[in-house]
Amino acid sequence: MKRFTLKWPLVISSSVLALLIFVVPLYGAAVYSFKGNGGKGHSWTNYQWLIHQDGFYPSLLTSLKLAVLAALLTLALMVPTMVYLNLKGQKYKSLVDFLCILPLIIPVVSLAIGAQVAMPKILQNSEYELVFFFVIIALPYTYRALDTSLQTIALKTLVEASRSLGASWTSTIILVIVPAIRSGITGALFLTFALSIGEYTITSLLHWETFPTWTVVAAQQNILGAIAISVFSFVGAIALLSVIALLPKRSAQRVEVDE
Amino acid sequence: MGVVRAQPRIRSSGRGSGVLPLLPFFLFTGFFLIWPVVAVTLRSFQGNKNEWTLANYRPILHSGPYLHAFMVSLKLSLITALIGSLLGAFFAYVIVKYARGKFGAVVDSISAVFANSGGVPLAFMFVAAFGTEGIVTKVLKDLGWDIYAGHFTIFSFTGVVMVYSFFQVPLMVLVFKPAIAGLRREWEEASISLGASAFTYWRRVGIPILIPSFVGAFFLLFAGGFSAYATARALTVGTVPLVPIIIGTLVDGNVISDQTNLGDSLAVGMIVVATIVMAGYIWAQRRAAKWRS
Repeated sequence: MKRFTLKWPLVISSSVLALLIFVVPLYGAAVYSFKGNGGKGHSWTNYQWLIHQDGFYPSLLTSLKLAVLAALLTLALMVPTMVYLNLKGQKYKSLVDFLCILPLIIPVVSLAIGAQVAMPKILQNSEYELVFFFVIIALPYTYRALDTSLQTIALKTLVEASRSLGASWTSTIILVIVPAIRSGITGALFLTFALSIGEYTITSLLHWETFPTWTVVAAQQNILGAIAISVFSFVGAIALLSVIALLPKRSAQRVEVDE
Repeated sequence: MGVVRAQPRIRSSGRGSGVLPLLPFFLFTGFFLIWPVVAVTLRSFQGNKNEWTLANYRPILHSGPYLHAFMVSLKLSLITALIGSLLGAFFAYVIVKYARGKFGAVVDSISAVFANSGGVPLAFMFVAAFGTEGIVTKVLKDLGWDIYAGHFTIFSFTGVVMVYSFFQVPLMVLVFKPAIAGLRREWEEASISLGASAFTYWRRVGIPILIPSFVGAFFLLFAGGFSAYATARALTVGTVPLVPIIIGTLVDGNVISDQTNLGDSLAVGMIVVATIVMAGYIWAQRRAAKWRS
C-alpha cells in the first residue's frame, strides 16, 4: 500500500500563499516605516520619534498590565467553568455556549454604550473596568479553545482516576486536567492577551488611554510615526508570544491523551 | 424495603449537577454582558424625554442610508468570511499536519497576533503597503501592474475586504485547527485497512466530519466581520458605509438632536441580524459535537 504524498506541494503552496497574504503587507509597512526625513533614505527616525513621544511607555505599560490581568482572570473564571460543564453540568452547556457566543454577536460599540449606561460609577472611574470587558470580548474564543481541547481528552476517566486516588478537586484540575488541555489553555491565553492588547473600540468609547488609542492620537501628528508604531506593535506582539510559546514546558510531557 | 441505598461515590462532589460551580460565570456574564445589552435595548425604545417610543427605529426602515449600510455590512462579512474560512481551513490543515513542536507553537502565536490585530495598526500597515504611495503599490507598478489604474483604492470596499481577510484567515486557522486535530488517526487507519484510498477517506469520512465545524467557524467569522469597527473606522473615515461605523459616529456626538438614541436602535438592529447568524452557528456546533462524544 504505497501512498502518494502531498507533503511538499502542500507545504510549498501554503507557504507561498502565507507569504503573499501576511508577509508582504507587513514587510511593505516595515520598509515604509524606515523612511527618513521627507521620505528620503532609510533611518530609525520614525522609531526614535516614537519612543520619545509623551505617553509611549505609560500607555504601553497600561496595555500590558490590563492584558495580563484579563488573561489571568479569563483562566481563573473559565477553566473551572469549562471543566465542570463537560463533566457534570451538561444541562447548562447550551446556556453557557449561548452566553459565550454573545460577545461576537453584540457589536462591541453597543456593549460600550451599554457599559456607560449600566456600570456603577466606581467602576467607570477606574481603568480596570476594561479588564472585565476584555474578558467578555475574549469569551467566544476562550470557550471554543477550552471546549475543543476538553472534548478531545478522556475527561471523565481522568477525573475518576484522580479522584479515586484521593486527589482533591483543586489538585485534580491543576495537576491532571490543566496539563492535559494545555494546548487549549495556551490558546485561550494567547487569544485573550492579544485581543486585550490591541483592543480599540471599547477603550476609546469609554475614554481610556491604552496603547492603541494613544497610537491614533499620535498618528494625527505623524503618519510615518504611526506606521512605525503599527509595525512595532505587530512585531513586538509576535516576538513576545513566540517567546512565551517557546518557553520550556516544565512537566506533563507524559500526558498524551489523544493528541 | 430492604434496598441498599447507593452511597454517593465521592464525597465532595456528591451534589450531582448543581448550578453552584457555574455561579461565578453566570454572575460575571450577567453583570458585564447581559446587563449592558439590556440597558442599551431599553434605551433604544426611549425618546429624548425618556418616554417610550418606536421613533428610533423609523429611520432604519424608512431611510435609504441606514438600510444601505446594513446591506454593505452584510456583503462585507459574507465575502470576508468566505475568503477567510476557505483559505484558513487550508492553512489549518497544513499546520496540523506538518507544523509540529516548537514551530507549531510559534505558528499558533503568530496566528493569534494576526487574528486579533483587527485594530488600528492594521489600517496603518495597509496604507503603508497598498496606499497610493505604498511600497507594494510601487513594486507592482515597477513590475507593470498599476493597481490604481482602475477603481481600486485601499479606502474602498475592496480595500476593506483585503484588510479584513488579513485577520479572518488566521482567525479561521485558530478556531478550525482543533477540529482537524480532533480527527482521530484510528478513523483514517480503519478506512485504509478496509481498502479506502486517501481520497476516499477524505470524501467519505474526513470532510463529512469536518463540515459542521467548518460551517460553525464560517458563522463565527461572519459575525466577527459584521461587528468589526476599529480597522474600518481608521481606514475608510466613513467612505464605506458600515453599520458599526455609523453607530460609532452617532454616539461620538455628531448627532442631530432628535436622533439621540438612533445609535441604540441601529445596535439592536445588528443584534437581530446577528441572532440569525448565531442560530446557524449553534446548529452547526451541535452537529459537530456529535462526533466527539
